[in-house]
Amino acid sequence: LRSTIPRSSPENTERDVTMKTAVVLLLAACVAVASATECDTLTRLKIKAQWSTAYSSGSDREHFAQALWRAVFAQAPEARTLFTRVGGDDTTSPKFIAHAERVLAGLDIAINMLDQPDALKAELDHLHKQHVERHIPDKYYTVFRNALTYVLPAQLGRCYDKEAWKACYNVIADAIRG
Amino acid sequence: VAFCVADECCSAEDRTRVQTQWRGLWKDTQSSKIKITFGRNILLKVVEEIPEVKALFKGVNIDNPLSGEFSAHSIRILNAIDMTINLLDDAESLGEALDHLADQHQAREGVKKAHFQSFSAKFLKALPAVIDDFDNMSWKACFTGITDKIASKLQA
Repeated sequence: LRSTIPRSSPENTERDVTMKTAVVLLLAACVAVASATECDTLTRLKIKAQWSTAYSSGSDREHFAQALWRAVFAQAPEARTLFTRVGGDDTTSPKFIAHAERVLAGLDIAINMLDQPDALKAELDHLHKQHVERHIPDKYYTVFRNALTYVLPAQLGRCYDKEAWKACYNVIADAIRG
Repeated sequence: VAFCVADECCSAEDRTRVQTQWRGLWKDTQSSKIKITFGRNILLKVVEEIPEVKALFKGVNIDNPLSGEFSAHSIRILNAIDMTINLLDDAESLGEALDHLADQHQAREGVKKAHFQSFSAKFLKALPAVIDDFDNMSWKACFTGITDKIASKLQA
């Protein structure tokens, strides 16, 4: 590329700098924060951005939800019994799809509120109330996190930041568990 | 399969338009702030029209509309709408999702069909302010169908 572009004019130099900056920013977005292990302000913004890609829309979202729950039940087949009322014996049933979409909608709110502390607290309190009465064993919160680590990379490719997700997922799950 | 309520039919083309126009609102990572503001404004407009509705939202701190509680509630409503719009292509799953929402509202004493009609009207009136090329007929057919189903188990 360099050999084909005359490098003498100021316009080209400027474009060159802009392109280099763009490349650096892209790399930074994917790689530089990969060492982050706390769910700090920047990590929260990253999770929000990655989630909005992964969450997607329409039938893509249905497939994402299905993959997530298949990954949950593959790790913990016995957990299906917790979902009998919402069609857990068949993850392709309309009843279960509706449930899976509700769960993702709740997760979507929690993730989107990561940078709005008051609303985040209110939403996590709400989710805590919905879950506490079901006496869900702690290990299932880890199972769900593992399931996310299986399906998110499929949606996000190499921009998926495992450590960042783990840290911020724990913030959300710890509050839901209470 | 078209999603029909009374004479209004949400056809395949209506669904595509609604989904595309709706998706355009959530491109940005700050979309949650749009959802909160939008949801809050609609709910407050409904209360303005039907003052008795205010008491129904006491538990989510409607007295302080900017509070975390009311913000979280506003986004829950918008996300439920988002979920149903995204399920428009899957009639059976949409039916299950709406049925669940109908149960959740049936369990709330004092919620009436008229409240949903007001919400639906305010919502459809506000959308053109945020959506370019807003397609009124498609939205009316699809969205009225959604809110009617959610209100279908209410007594009054």
